[in-house]
Amino acid sequence: MHTDKHTDKDNESTTPSIADLSFLQLSDSFFPTGLYTTSNGLELLFYDKNRKLTYGEISDFIKAYLVQQIGPTDCCVVGNVYDSIQKKDFMSLLELDNTYYFMRLVDETRSASTRSGIQFLRCVSAFIHNDEYLDFYSKNIKSGHAKGVYPLSYALGCNSMNITKERAGLMLLYGFVVSVIGASLRLGILQHIEGQMLIDEMKPVILSTVKKNINRPMDSMWQFIPQLDIIQMHHEQMDSKMFIT
Amino acid sequence: MALLRIPRIGIGGPVGSGKTMLIEQLVPILKNDGYNVGIISNDVVSREDADRMRKNLATDKGLMPEDLVIGIATGGCPHTAVREDPSINISVVEEMESKHPELDLIIIESGGDNITTTFSPALADYFIYIIDVSGGDKYPRKRGLGIETSDLLVINKIDIASFIGADLSIMERDAKVVRNDKPYVFVNSKTGQGVKTVAEQIVKDLLFDAPPKSVAIN
Repeated sequence: MHTDKHTDKDNESTTPSIADLSFLQLSDSFFPTGLYTTSNGLELLFYDKNRKLTYGEISDFIKAYLVQQIGPTDCCVVGNVYDSIQKKDFMSLLELDNTYYFMRLVDETRSASTRSGIQFLRCVSAFIHNDEYLDFYSKNIKSGHAKGVYPLSYALGCNSMNITKERAGLMLLYGFVVSVIGASLRLGILQHIEGQMLIDEMKPVILSTVKKNINRPMDSMWQFIPQLDIIQMHHEQMDSKMFIT
Repeated sequence: MALLRIPRIGIGGPVGSGKTMLIEQLVPILKNDGYNVGIISNDVVSREDADRMRKNLATDKGLMPEDLVIGIATGGCPHTAVREDPSINISVVEEMESKHPELDLIIIESGGDNITTTFSPALADYFIYIIDVSGGDKYPRKRGLGIETSDLLVINKIDIASFIGADLSIMERDAKVVRNDKPYVFVNSKTGQGVKTVAEQIVKDLLFDAPPKSVAIN
């Protein structure tokens, strides 16, 4: 189906660059961040609904996360990292790290974020050298002054590879969508073509969520998905599960 | 991020081949020789293996603190978690290394998988692949990266070989051929038969016969 969203060429660049390839590299699920180990509570919801989750329910689940949490927190962090770098404001990076870490209500989600963040940073630092912001954040993680949360590591990595702020935001949300859909496939909720249909369906939501949140100031960062937070907390306690959360 | 890399063993093998049981037999032998061990257990769909080892080795036998047995969920991708993208395992290992520098080695158990399992060298320094005789005596000659390239091949459940018509001499012959004379051990993890040899191989090939840290310090 060829819908209107596929004809939007406003921001299409005609000159390929290394940054374009870096964009592909970081958005590839092959990039090692461990995100395939999380379902964001979807696994519990699946069992709670007697394994009868529908395509529409997965779609609502992803939209709720994007609009109510990933947009106003994770995407906001990404935007603020870029702004801090522009101002050469190193200390606000630590403030962002701290604020984001303590906004994650679920223990497993907090630790998964720092584990992925630290490993992401390490991987990028293996081929990007002498980036003062990557080095600053790594040193502070090592000394215990920063936690190493994923969206911050991720934004620093994107910046170091000359990926623009807006594209970094798009990629972050796209990665989240793909990780939830990947979990849905492994749980047998969706089939492979449905997965791609759902990714396609999410494109306008990703786009509008990034536009809405990428320039959001740090002091207006928010999240509100209490039901999904509670689901994740229950999921944490499941005896038999495939995913971390 | 850890300052000191503690030697790490990766143990992989198919579902039900005896990975957890091997660890439960191995740790008391190593502990008896003075070696302190931490365990990270990757499970495909439960925390049962980690919970069982914690209860058996830490709570009941007191061989290690309970926080030294950690379970990890792998999102249904057991070999990805130890090979293509071991990020989460590396993070957990490094957390263990920084909290417990006194450890002599860390065992990382893979979730049950297929014969292509291998461990990323970034994650494990020594790789044990375990199969059992119930798959038939053709198993070693079917090859697969785990059987061929592991540092030590363990063939488990030798006590039931006669009941299912598996010829151990065929398994031994084929193991020698496909592994180019790299070591293999026949064990019965239920009784512990052969497990001491596994422990000796680890001390020799991974620890280079180094004494336990507690002994070396004193």
